[in-house]
Amino acid sequence: MKKAIEINNLTKTYKGKKGAQVQALKGLALEIMPGEEFGFLGPNGAGKSTTIKTLMGLIRPTAGDALILEERISSNSARRHVGYLPENPAFYDYLTAEEYLTFVARAFDVPSNLLRERVCESLRIMELWDARKRPMRGYSKGMVQRVGLAQTLIHDPDVYILDEPMSGLDPIGRALVKEIILDLKKRGKSVFFSTHITDDVEKVCDRVGVIVRGKLEALDSVENIVRKGIEGYIVQTRLGLGRHEALSGFEIRGTNETFAEYFVPAAAFNQFMSLAGHNSVEVTLVETKRKDLEAFFLEIVEKGEAR
Amino acid sequence: MGGVKRHITLLVCICALYAAIILPFTRSMRSKPFAEKLGALPTVATLKFLSADQRLFVGSSLVMKVIIYFGGLTERAKNRIIIPPDYPAMSRTIHTAVKLDPYNSDAYYFAQAFLTWDARQFAIANDLLREGMKYRTWDWQLPFFIGFNYGYFLKDYRNAAHYYKKAAELSGQELYASLAGRYLQEAGQTDQAIAYLEIMAKGARNPVAKRSFFIRLTAFKRAKLVEDARDAFRKRKGRLPSSVAELVDGGFLAMAPVDPYGGEFFIAPDGSVGTTSKFAFKGSGGQSRDKGGAQQ
Amino acid sequence: MLNQVGITLKSILRDRVFHGIIFSALIFLAIPSVASLSMRQMTELSITLSLSLLSFILLLLALFLGGTHLWKDIERRYTYSVLSLPISRTTYLIGKFLGIAFFILVVACLLGLVAAGVIQFSAGIYPPERPIAWENIAAAVVFDALKYILVVATAFLFSSVGTSFFLPIFGTICIFFVGSASQQVYDYITAPATADIPLFTKKAAMVVYYLLPNYSAFDYKVNAAYGVPLDGSGLLLTLGYFVIYLLAVVVLAALLFEKREMN
Ligand SMILES: Nc1ncnc2c1ncn2[C@@H]1O[C@H](COP(=O)(O)OP(=O)(O)OP(=O)(O)O)[C@@H](O)[C@H]1O
Ligand SMILES: [Mg+2]
Repeated sequence: MKKAIEINNLTKTYKGKKGAQVQALKGLALEIMPGEEFGFLGPNGAGKSTTIKTLMGLIRPTAGDALILEERISSNSARRHVGYLPENPAFYDYLTAEEYLTFVARAFDVPSNLLRERVCESLRIMELWDARKRPMRGYSKGMVQRVGLAQTLIHDPDVYILDEPMSGLDPIGRALVKEIILDLKKRGKSVFFSTHITDDVEKVCDRVGVIVRGKLEALDSVENIVRKGIEGYIVQTRLGLGRHEALSGFEIRGTNETFAEYFVPAAAFNQFMSLAGHNSVEVTLVETKRKDLEAFFLEIVEKGEAR
Repeated sequence: MGGVKRHITLLVCICALYAAIILPFTRSMRSKPFAEKLGALPTVATLKFLSADQRLFVGSSLVMKVIIYFGGLTERAKNRIIIPPDYPAMSRTIHTAVKLDPYNSDAYYFAQAFLTWDARQFAIANDLLREGMKYRTWDWQLPFFIGFNYGYFLKDYRNAAHYYKKAAELSGQELYASLAGRYLQEAGQTDQAIAYLEIMAKGARNPVAKRSFFIRLTAFKRAKLVEDARDAFRKRKGRLPSSVAELVDGGFLAMAPVDPYGGEFFIAPDGSVGTTSKFAFKGSGGQSRDKGGAQQ
Repeated sequence: MLNQVGITLKSILRDRVFHGIIFSALIFLAIPSVASLSMRQMTELSITLSLSLLSFILLLLALFLGGTHLWKDIERRYTYSVLSLPISRTTYLIGKFLGIAFFILVVACLLGLVAAGVIQFSAGIYPPERPIAWENIAAAVVFDALKYILVVATAFLFSSVGTSFFLPIFGTICIFFVGSASQQVYDYITAPATADIPLFTKKAAMVVYYLLPNYSAFDYKVNAAYGVPLDGSGLLLTLGYFVIYLLAVVVLAALLFEKREMN
């Protein structure tokens, strides 16, 4: 199968007036596999949108290259099988959602017998059905964002490139987008989306990349990050039963009349459990204590920015 | 970016095509009739409105247009390609121009230059000049022109004397008044014209006007040669010569003078000397729809 | 491409500024009464006035549509969504241009019909001395439309590089005035009356003349108003000039637009 996206040594330097330069991307390299959901994390101004705009041919890289489904991004046909959601999208506001989606579908050469059906379907999915006949001038921010998502779905592409798909959406909308992405995953589609919200990434992504100041600082599967992030366990035991002295080597986090809470490092968990068993201590609750993705993200950003 | 390369190739091809068409196109544009070149002039009112606070500019650019057009024609006339000038359109344009800027001296000066001998619209010329006198109250040339038109073309010596006197008052030069006295009779026509043209040619700054005055001056001086020869002939033989050829045969003229307007000098039965060109390039004047008046 | 043309037409029709400009076409109704002020040539005058008004409306439309359309798409960030579709920027630009050009042509024809009605009405009241040269009037209208299509193209050229609407609007206005006067300037500098102009100035003016569009070539109002016969080969040459010049401008605009960064 074709790689969904392949980014090689992508470099972008913005040249401003009076010779001012911004190095937005510094030799970015990344590969997105077919059927993979990839979260592209980074703080404000890290270069996420720059990467995405370059992929969509809106800006030209200073150096390096990228391919979508093995087609160079400099060719128009690279975008043929891509659904793209711009950051803070704006659409011809004198059109209605229905007209705009029809326009997009035509641009993607959706066969005319499917066209109408596809337009209606995406309007329904994004819950825009009632507003479909109104000009987009009168839409709220979240509704425009929904139109943006609808227009990525309309031609059923294999690759989705979404720049902050959750921004501007209410909790229902966010849940809806997550659901949609999970559904795309089920259907074997690739999704590459940027965000700064780690929670979204954790729920839907296979892999994450963290970009800081134009450099990819981390790249790992969500599973690995979660596993590596386990620091230890909080174990609750019932007092008054068994020999608690045997566990005195472990750190006590708190006690009350009935229970004691121990912090057990991951490596010592088995030892703790066997000691408890031998000394008839009743374990009432075990809770994993781990760094969440947010902490992981912050750590990497800090490291990246210190450099 | 193969697309860009294709664009550039295409652009080069188009530029080649452009190079091929531009010369015939320019030629065709140059030879467009004056009226077409000038474009339809909106009515004076519209033009006044459209030119907003640029009235003077629009007015003088209209006059400039006429001068350039006429200059081009005299240039070609020298090369013996005679294109009839479109006097009505020129007149219309000048009239519009003075409506926009009644102080524009070029307009009057040039109107006088072509409306008289060439277009033979003496009344229109005098009306225009009189209108100008209301604004350019200090300008001695306007009454001078009117006086000349009366004296030379219209043979209205009373009016001529009146305007010549005015010109003399304004300029403070007695010459113009004496001009009136000296030549205001039928016999002094050629002398009057030569005096007038000499003054005009001396004062002309615009090369087109200057040249057109000199051409005319030359024509009159040659006519004067014929007249002098005729007088000598009559003195010696006691009768009028019947043709210029007779004067040449009799040794009164070294050769028949050439009329720079392409006509031929002749001696009328009453003895007056004329030329078939009437001292003007052949024009299309006269058959105009609106006799040179402004469109109102 | 057709898709793009369609969207462009829709956007024009739904624009309020356009409605305003079309509203100004109501002035046509005033022409017969204004023309009746002319004592001798009411029909000629109403032809001149109708064609001038038509020309003026087309100028406004061309400036407004050509100068703001592309710029507005960039300014309002519509380009992000549209240019990420699998169409080339050239297609986008040419589609837009064709939409506007077609619109100008249609408006010119419609206003031409209105003008014909007005002229016919005037002629009905004061019959003209000479028959009205309808084919000349038609030619004047069509060539006027072509001229303003060329104006739109120059506006697109400016829009393809400019970042604000100043360049497209004012650049186009400048080119329009210079292009309308360039033939006059050319005649001026090649006239014997001006033999004393420095050679460098003359050469520079010649370069400008050959480089800029010659808008005065498209003016057939005199032929229309006074029934001056049209010169067939001149018309053809002008048409050829139009096609070639237009292509050059549009391709150059597309080239610059292709190279432009969208940010
Ligand atoms: N047109 C531009 N000209 C100059 N610099 C720019 C331009 N666009 C972006 N930049 C700079 O490039 C860097 C990366 O910007 P980019 O928009 O890619 O960030 P981002 O990761 O998308 O941030 P955010 O999370 O805020 O959307 C920033 O420092 C920004 O200032
Ligand atoms: Mg961004």
